[in-house]
Amino acid sequence: MMNFLDTLEQSGFSTWVRESNSLLAYPSVLFLHTVGMGFVAGISALIDLRLLGCASEVRLADIKKVLPFMWAGFWVNLVTGIVLFMLDATTKSVSPVFWTKLVFIGLAVAMALNQRKIFDDPLVDKRPIDMNGKLIAFASILCWMGAITAGRLLAYVGPGVVSQGG
Amino acid sequence: MSLANLAHLHLLLNHFPTVGFSVGLGLYLIALIRKSDDLKRASLVIFLGIGLLTIPTFMTGKAAQAAVVGQEGVSETLTATHEDAALLAFLFMTVTGVLSWLGLWQYRRTSHIPGWNMTAILLISLITFGLMARAANIGGEIRHPEIQAAGDATAPSAELLKASSVQGFVNTTNWAWPTMETLHFIGLTMLMGVVLIVNLRMLGVAKNISFSAVHRLLPWGVLGFVINVVTGIIFFVTVPDQYTQNIALEYKMALTMIAGANVLYFTVFDEAWAVEGGMDAPVSGKFMAGLTILLWIGIIWLGRMMPFIGGSF
Repeated sequence: MMNFLDTLEQSGFSTWVRESNSLLAYPSVLFLHTVGMGFVAGISALIDLRLLGCASEVRLADIKKVLPFMWAGFWVNLVTGIVLFMLDATTKSVSPVFWTKLVFIGLAVAMALNQRKIFDDPLVDKRPIDMNGKLIAFASILCWMGAITAGRLLAYVGPGVVSQGG
Repeated sequence: MSLANLAHLHLLLNHFPTVGFSVGLGLYLIALIRKSDDLKRASLVIFLGIGLLTIPTFMTGKAAQAAVVGQEGVSETLTATHEDAALLAFLFMTVTGVLSWLGLWQYRRTSHIPGWNMTAILLISLITFGLMARAANIGGEIRHPEIQAAGDATAPSAELLKASSVQGFVNTTNWAWPTMETLHFIGLTMLMGVVLIVNLRMLGVAKNISFSAVHRLLPWGVLGFVINVVTGIIFFVTVPDQYTQNIALEYKMALTMIAGANVLYFTVFDEAWAVEGGMDAPVSGKFMAGLTILLWIGIIWLGRMMPFIGGSF
């Protein structure tokens, strides 16, 4: 396994992204990962707030239309996330913070998939969101916050941390 | 920008939180006496605009300090005292700006600014004005020894809130910097979520939603923005050296001013407000919506490029 991870890390592509001075290399991957985060976690959290009762004038049947933008953010981050993992696969794979981040994302995505059944219900705006739906919405916000926190902490905690000032 | 140009910019901008703010405050007092909603809204717009301009005013101060310290007759402790006074005034200005924005948002919804908020704005803006005038006065003494109170120039800063204390705290507390970074990203996410939903609606996605319904979401975006202003200023105060002449940060702040002013279009203007469920937004509204999304993506890009173009981390 470590061999495979090492191959990923030493591949020509990984080396270029990691070591090139071009703004199109590492800086752009990081930028896309941040914008993708804004799309997926931002839209998801706002929809969770709506399910919790904020801005109740916004009909759920209508706001459903922005969900493809949330998923677009998810796919961008899956791809850029895989690239960022490849760059130092051997260290990321043994970082508890990294796996914590993935667990939070896995849970958040599972909840977003579960919320589809709320949106698929033709009577969605006729009945109130039940306790279960509200708990899932709340947990989804917490999971995104957890994923963002773990993602940020990757730069500061655990193996592979580059010593930084500040 | 060179230190000298940034210092010039500081000398230009510093009139907004002082002279400009006094105009806003005067207008607000007249508005309260004459019970004029139009004047109230005009003064709140001024407060909001000056609140935004206070961000680059504070930040260019660091460059101005670097430019003058070491010159004959310039006291380093006096510039530190000026910075500390300005930091406290900055925080109160942030509160004034947020309450003013909230007042404009409330007026748009109900054609009325609640009494509690008008009172809060009055009190906070008076305090802000006092603190700002004080910071400006100390700032003036840096180059005008003739107005210095005797012996004060070399006395160490006795301010309640010291930039050096913030710096010391963040530098010696191992969780402080990562926590600020995390909050800055959570703020970004809240802001982007609102920016996307409101502006995608304007562009015609989910157009069954009326604008007045998505208008409800704006406070969440402003909350994200405020989290990022506060955490951003803490980053700046902690390691000013890597931010003072960071070209990416300079452009980021320029775009932030435009994006900040642009929130007025969505908060107070009639055009967006009139867009009902099922209606297409006018072309100018769609243009503003597209521009807003691009501005914020540009701000994220510049923020992300700060280590790569600007040389900070």
